[in-house]
Amino acid sequence: MLRLGYDERAAALLVFPVVAVLLVVAAFPILYSFWISLHDVVLTRPLRRPFVGLDNYLRVFADERFWIAVARTTVYTVVTVAATTVLAVLVALLLNEAFPGQRLLNALLLLPWATPSVVNGLMWKWIYDPSYGLLNGLLVQLGVLERYRAWLGDPDLTLLLIANAAVWKQMPLAALLLIVTMKAIPEDLYRAAKVDGAGTFRRFLHVTLPALRPGLMLVLVYETMISIRHFDLFLIMTQGGPGDASFTLSWFIYVETFRSLRFGTGAALSYILAMATFLLSYLFIRFLGRRL
Amino acid sequence: MATIVCEALTKRYGAVTALDALDLTIAHGEFMVLLGPSGCGKTTTLNLIAGLEEASEGRLLFDGRDVTWLPPHRREVAMVFQSYALYPNKTVFENIAFPLRLRRTPRAGIERAVRAAAEQLEIAHLLDRRPHQLSGGQRQRVALGRAIVRNPAAFLMDEPLSNLDAALRLSMRSLIKRLHHQLRATFVYVTHDQAEAMTLADRIAVMRGGLIQQLDTPEGIYERPANLFVAGFLGSPPINLIEGRIEDGAFRRAELRLPAPRAEPGREVVLGLRPEDVEAPAPHLVPLAGRVELVSPLGSDTYAEVSGPAGTSLTLRVPKGWRVREGEGIEVGVDPARLHLFDRATERRIA
Ligand SMILES: Nc1ncnc2c1ncn2[C@@H]1O[C@H](COP(=O)(O)OP(=O)(O)OP(=O)(O)O)[C@@H](O)[C@H]1O
Ligand SMILES: [Mg+2]
Repeated sequence: MLRLGYDERAAALLVFPVVAVLLVVAAFPILYSFWISLHDVVLTRPLRRPFVGLDNYLRVFADERFWIAVARTTVYTVVTVAATTVLAVLVALLLNEAFPGQRLLNALLLLPWATPSVVNGLMWKWIYDPSYGLLNGLLVQLGVLERYRAWLGDPDLTLLLIANAAVWKQMPLAALLLIVTMKAIPEDLYRAAKVDGAGTFRRFLHVTLPALRPGLMLVLVYETMISIRHFDLFLIMTQGGPGDASFTLSWFIYVETFRSLRFGTGAALSYILAMATFLLSYLFIRFLGRRL
Repeated sequence: MATIVCEALTKRYGAVTALDALDLTIAHGEFMVLLGPSGCGKTTTLNLIAGLEEASEGRLLFDGRDVTWLPPHRREVAMVFQSYALYPNKTVFENIAFPLRLRRTPRAGIERAVRAAAEQLEIAHLLDRRPHQLSGGQRQRVALGRAIVRNPAAFLMDEPLSNLDAALRLSMRSLIKRLHHQLRATFVYVTHDQAEAMTLADRIAVMRGGLIQQLDTPEGIYERPANLFVAGFLGSPPINLIEGRIEDGAFRRAELRLPAPRAEPGREVVLGLRPEDVEAPAPHLVPLAGRVELVSPLGSDTYAEVSGPAGTSLTLRVPKGWRVREGEGIEVGVDPARLHLFDRATERRIA
């Protein structure tokens, strides 16, 4: 039997409620949904839920909609993460310099981040609106466009436009993280590089960028993990459409589970997405982290 | 190599004047040390020479050419920092090679120059390491290597040894001196360590509040301090300063009387006596007696806190071979020629 000292016993007692809550709200759903993914659970037939082993998973892999969803999710995630990262670096570089109004801009930067994602989705849906949208109004008034367009109705643009809304919301946090990393770079390094003969671009390449690596990795991992699972924007803006243009994995999970009420395959899909997220993060940390 | 001339060089940060119309000529191949307390403008001077800061007023000339508005990379100066400022992600080799790479030096030339510098600094075995795998002394050698591969017109060093422990500081000091002999380049070296300044410098510029207080050889600064500040700043333990008046060819303070034949009578003065300028009493010396309050043996020398005549408290170096004990009397001899006199109002040296 494990012998506990007074301090440990007090600690265990104090920690117990939190552990209990976590077990109920986190561990139980994870295990229960795994149990569901191994059974044929269909809500229209609630009493019979036979064990089917890995059938749900096999059915998903055989479904061509799954592979479409994988493709859409990949495009969306790559575009969102790449744009977020590049923009965040540029914004961080800008806001790391001292200039008049810099404090105000720093505060404004956080505004999109503070916007709830449903509000963000509605806002961009309005901006893209085919009959009274800001984007149409702006482009027509500038003479770039002849007449209003249904932006989100264009299958070639849909994913990019949703990604744009996501980047708008996600970029500030990433930029903030990079600014903090930049602030920690010793000024002497820049001075040394200047004296050594490095111009602005070389100083960025040889001093800033290497120092940003840990921050960049964090941004990449975090942004990938959340972008790959984005759901709210799709629900509000396109519902997977037009056609299957924005039919991503998380949208597929939603449709399968809550519209078709096939909880078994829905749970299997969720597990696949979770595993993919986990694997990607692991690979990032493994291959980028090693060179830190 | 270069002659560096600062002409009325001024630097202001808002209301703060960090450097006040500095005039300084550093000869080609000279080892110039800027010495002074914290905040006196040493780093500012170096930054202006390097081009890392822009002058508010004045001119800067390298070999007669006006470089006041030239960016750092066009000035051909190398800089060594107290923090070493090595690129943490680059190997030692790449750190040293960096300035050459930026100058598009051919590959073979870089290889040769880096190896040669590394040999000279005895870090050839460390070329594959990264800065975090090096000791402080090794890091500063790498920083020196990065400076010397470029063959710059001038070396600027901002307290390069301040982060090292005492023993290492000594050996690095001689390394830097050796480098100066070998390279015959102009060195501008910032420190607030007087021992470093004395041992390294051809000439020392003692600074305070953005102004040069005295510019002279180490001997000149030690033997003939231009004012009270310089007298007090150099010397360890510091010089004894005693306030008094000149009366009939002597310095007087109550019963204390020391000959001062050249000073004009009636003047309010401060007398300076270095602790090491006392000897065993002898006929040609003026006697000075007091009571020993505290004895501080340092191994090579022993210093005594002495309560002297006229309520003075003096630090004196105990002559070789003497044994002194706290509470006992002591009498030493002082050579009047080695006394320093300063005007009390202007704080300037009285010749
Ligand atoms: N960027 C700046 N903004 C405002 N004041 C500054 C700035 N840099 C230096 N100063 C001021 O200029 C004066 C000289 O500073 P400097 O760094 O040259 O001192 P220093 O002699 O190198 O001192 P230390 O021995 O502490 O390094 C100081 O009073 C300092 O506060
Ligand atoms: Mg300084």
